[in-house]
Amino acid sequence: MLRNRLITVLTFNDGVLFRTKHFDPDYRYTHNFVDAWSTDEIVALDITRPGEGNRDTFLTIVRQLASKCFVPLAAGGGIKNADNIKELLNNGADKIIINTEAVKNPGIITKAATLFGTQCVVVSIDAKKYDDQDYEVFIEYGKKPSGLDPAEWAEKAQDLGAGEIMITSINRDGSLEGYDNELNRMVSEAVDIPVLVCGGAGKWQDFVDGVELGKASAVCTTNIYHFTETSINSAKKYMHEAGINVRL
Amino acid sequence: MIIGIIDFGLGNLYSVAGAVEKLNHTALISSRADELEKSDKLILPGVGAFADGMKNLNELGLAAPLSELVLSKKKPIIGICLGFQLMAEESYEFGKTKGLGWIPASVIKLEPDEMEIRVPHVGWNDMLQVNTDKLFQDIPKDALFYYTHSFHVDCRDIVCTIGTCDYGGTFTSVFHDDNIYGTQFHPEKSQLNGLNLLKNFIEKC
Repeated sequence: MLRNRLITVLTFNDGVLFRTKHFDPDYRYTHNFVDAWSTDEIVALDITRPGEGNRDTFLTIVRQLASKCFVPLAAGGGIKNADNIKELLNNGADKIIINTEAVKNPGIITKAATLFGTQCVVVSIDAKKYDDQDYEVFIEYGKKPSGLDPAEWAEKAQDLGAGEIMITSINRDGSLEGYDNELNRMVSEAVDIPVLVCGGAGKWQDFVDGVELGKASAVCTTNIYHFTETSINSAKKYMHEAGINVRL
Repeated sequence: MIIGIIDFGLGNLYSVAGAVEKLNHTALISSRADELEKSDKLILPGVGAFADGMKNLNELGLAAPLSELVLSKKKPIIGICLGFQLMAEESYEFGKTKGLGWIPASVIKLEPDEMEIRVPHVGWNDMLQVNTDKLFQDIPKDALFYYTHSFHVDCRDIVCTIGTCDYGGTFTSVFHDDNIYGTQFHPEKSQLNGLNLLKNFIEKC
């Protein structure tokens, strides 16, 4: 049976892992140990703002992660065209993640799927929940409203050739309050491709809820306190005991 | 040993080469038949679309010399994911495309019998060892491997299917006939079990 995945998301700002430990950036630590922690997959995101920092720094990080981690690696952040995608793949990424550009220019999804296969294309969607319970897709690092509904956009992205959808709740990001499983379920039920959920996980039960309530194929976590050496194993053990099929 | 990794412009050669080097063997990435001929064993990797893969193999002038190396000279080869699929006679991905024709099989779409099963098939899943094989030495029966695909190799010769996976229907996960091996999953992305499988291919097969 296909297992539900627990994915480690790493965000880099001009080459430095954005999370810190005791206020010191520590990305070498990540390179060396992330594989041994039995994570099912790694997502590396470049969150360097345009004009700040060097894109090559991120490519170097992708290359280093790829050479040390024998698990699937998805990379994204700032992708504008097929050349950006090719660069990431040439440096060892297995999949690429498109967000803003997919909204501005949906044709890039089809182009990427045709060139590299649908399994290579993850469309990432950042959604904000309003007080009236409505959701809207935001782009450009979660700053700019797009006018799109997350579930409708996910379905369109699938039709255009996306192989997976990654849905992130802007409201829950960094909150440790758990995923927005209403959002996750709406998106998951709108598509037939795997859905990765992100934003808000703070305890092991949140992963279980992401799968059971959010209908996620994979649950993601970015928070550094999940990255201690035994924690992925403990998270999976918890999920397993709660009846979720995970790779132990 | 020198492991020739066939570079035909598709796929993540970097991680396949990384796995070979992790196992203390030499990875030779090449798109030249004369260089590949000098290696001890071959890996045909590949991620992407079947038609592009065949087009590239033909344009690089690799299809004929590789067929000679594999079918006449019996050089051991393992195909990974799309690389495995390319060994078949034909594929039905985006219309019918002729493959390398090394194995009696067609490449067809995954059509799970249950609505809730999602395609592409992405993630960690089982591989049932239906035959004993040197490739499986020291690989636990419950080992999981990483799959990411929408199509699979439909083998006409059932004896050659040495490993299977069930995803709304059973498909060939691992293939072995004589000097030809193939896996639908990515051993180079399947941590220890994947590395052990590649090690067995390199050192025992």
